[in-house]
Amino acid sequence: MKPIISHEVFLTSRRDLKNDHLLLGFGPFPGAASIKPGQFVHIGFRNPLAFYRRAFSIAGVNTVKREIEIILKVIGRGSYQLSQLRAGEGVNFLGPLGNPFVLPGKRQTALMVAGGVGYPPLLFLAMHMIERGYDPKNIVFFYGGRSSEDIVDRARIRKLGVRFLPATQNGSFGERGMITALLKRFLSTPGTAGSGENVIFACGPEGLLEAVDRIAAEFETPGQLALEAPMPCGFGICLGCVVPLKSGGFARVCKEGPVFDTGTLAL
Amino acid sequence: MNSPGMTSARTKPAPLNKKDTRETPDLSVEIAGYRFKNPIWTASGTCGYGEELDTVFDLNRLGAIVTKSITRQPRPGHPPPRCSEESGGMLNAIGLANVGVDNYIAEKLSFLDGYRIGVIVNVAGFSFQEYIEVCSMLADCPRADMIELNISCPNISSGGIEFGDNAKEVERVVSAVKKVFPRPIIPKLSPNVTDIAEIARGAEAGGADAISLINTLIGMTVNIETRRPTLSNNRGGLSGPAIKPIALSMVNRVYESVRVPVIGIGGAMNCRDVIEFMLCGASAVQLGTALFLQPDLPVIVERELKKYLKKQKLDTVTELIGKLEKY
Repeated sequence: MKPIISHEVFLTSRRDLKNDHLLLGFGPFPGAASIKPGQFVHIGFRNPLAFYRRAFSIAGVNTVKREIEIILKVIGRGSYQLSQLRAGEGVNFLGPLGNPFVLPGKRQTALMVAGGVGYPPLLFLAMHMIERGYDPKNIVFFYGGRSSEDIVDRARIRKLGVRFLPATQNGSFGERGMITALLKRFLSTPGTAGSGENVIFACGPEGLLEAVDRIAAEFETPGQLALEAPMPCGFGICLGCVVPLKSGGFARVCKEGPVFDTGTLAL
Repeated sequence: MNSPGMTSARTKPAPLNKKDTRETPDLSVEIAGYRFKNPIWTASGTCGYGEELDTVFDLNRLGAIVTKSITRQPRPGHPPPRCSEESGGMLNAIGLANVGVDNYIAEKLSFLDGYRIGVIVNVAGFSFQEYIEVCSMLADCPRADMIELNISCPNISSGGIEFGDNAKEVERVVSAVKKVFPRPIIPKLSPNVTDIAEIARGAEAGGADAISLINTLIGMTVNIETRRPTLSNNRGGLSGPAIKPIALSMVNRVYESVRVPVIGIGGAMNCRDVIEFMLCGASAVQLGTALFLQPDLPVIVERELKKYLKKQKLDTVTELIGKLEKY
């Protein structure tokens, strides 16, 4: 097994992304260059407000500065404590942890389905693919939320040159309705389903993942789901973050995941 | 002694008069005739079978590893949610998820072959027969230096009352496994009892070579929106710093009630806590939940423990055991 790095890192940058969303940069992290989209870091505080560490998907890396970016929305004690960090303050990073997304073929179309604050690993995936020579036109970025406020970081997504398809439940930004309905419509285009040309990548709330899992099966399209779960340890020893498998038994989100193929989980 | 990790004090007596042959300060401790290089162990259920933790730090730094509870058959464990976070600790109900003793022996135990540490296999059971079967299978595995008996399991044949609830039952189960396992047996006591000293005496009467305590305290928390308990099992075991004062008190009580060595467990989060346990009577201390927050903690505790001993002008860590100055 690859060694896990436990490392003190410092807050190097902070950008307000609106609606309680923050983009935080941390470094120096020696393993930054080896990090792949879908992986996460488990963050420990010196004087934690909460008890466990907090797992955050990696939203980007700067391999030159050896920095890691995470994006958070202030919701609970962990995200609040991160939001209160000042420049130069330290936290402990354990990582990179978990299995990354498996990249699609260069000619396939990547359908990224983001729900709310689930978008960071998908944004990282899109950036990572484009850096590696993938055509941005082969990436469709579906991004859903309840209202316009939930769709943050739009400028960076647009700048990538991907097809950006947002949807909000109240219609205040993009299409009105669920993002998964938009995905379904996309796959309903004659000749699209089961063509082997599309691969779905999804991250978001449980309802979204469930819907994407169903849609992937219905349209015979391969897909990968990135899960989130409260994690006491983050590297497989506590067995606390399990998810039930269709084949019976359980898988650890932190160790066998957080990325799972569609059709494998009993969601 | 066939264990590569330890020297038996019986076959190879420690050179007591030649202090200079050991590192100063000396962190080694002797328990049940075995010498462990230090009193810093990892607790069952918080270090898996060792493989994952070894990716964070070199397991050779440990005195011993106590592996996840093994049962006769594989168990998938409880459905999620299995854990919930509390102030000062966590609740868990993993449900003794494990690979079963056959797979454990065939696939997991050998991982620890090359390590010079004590290997203590934690065994759980739901009947006398199950404890006996699992322990006798481990008897043939020399790498299993000792067995820690998880007696906080319901006994199916006595209406689900925990083995660890009753001193007579504890004595019976310990003496039964002593007959089939030739190396030391360490019963791990449950704190969910009226008189822990009585249970400890039962364990000693059954032939326990050492006693470890405490297991988690039974607890429950509720989500007030859904009105459901936070765990799928409804109840779970509370661990973490919240339980440390209870653990210290019980360790001290048991230390004063039995002659066999006591291993302290319960909410130790740092070196200071480890020293507290030793002063209360523990010959070794298991780090558990703390590993989730700081997986390389054993290495840090080892370093700080040496510093503390130097500062206290003590040559050996054993000089701390039970040296509590009570009022």
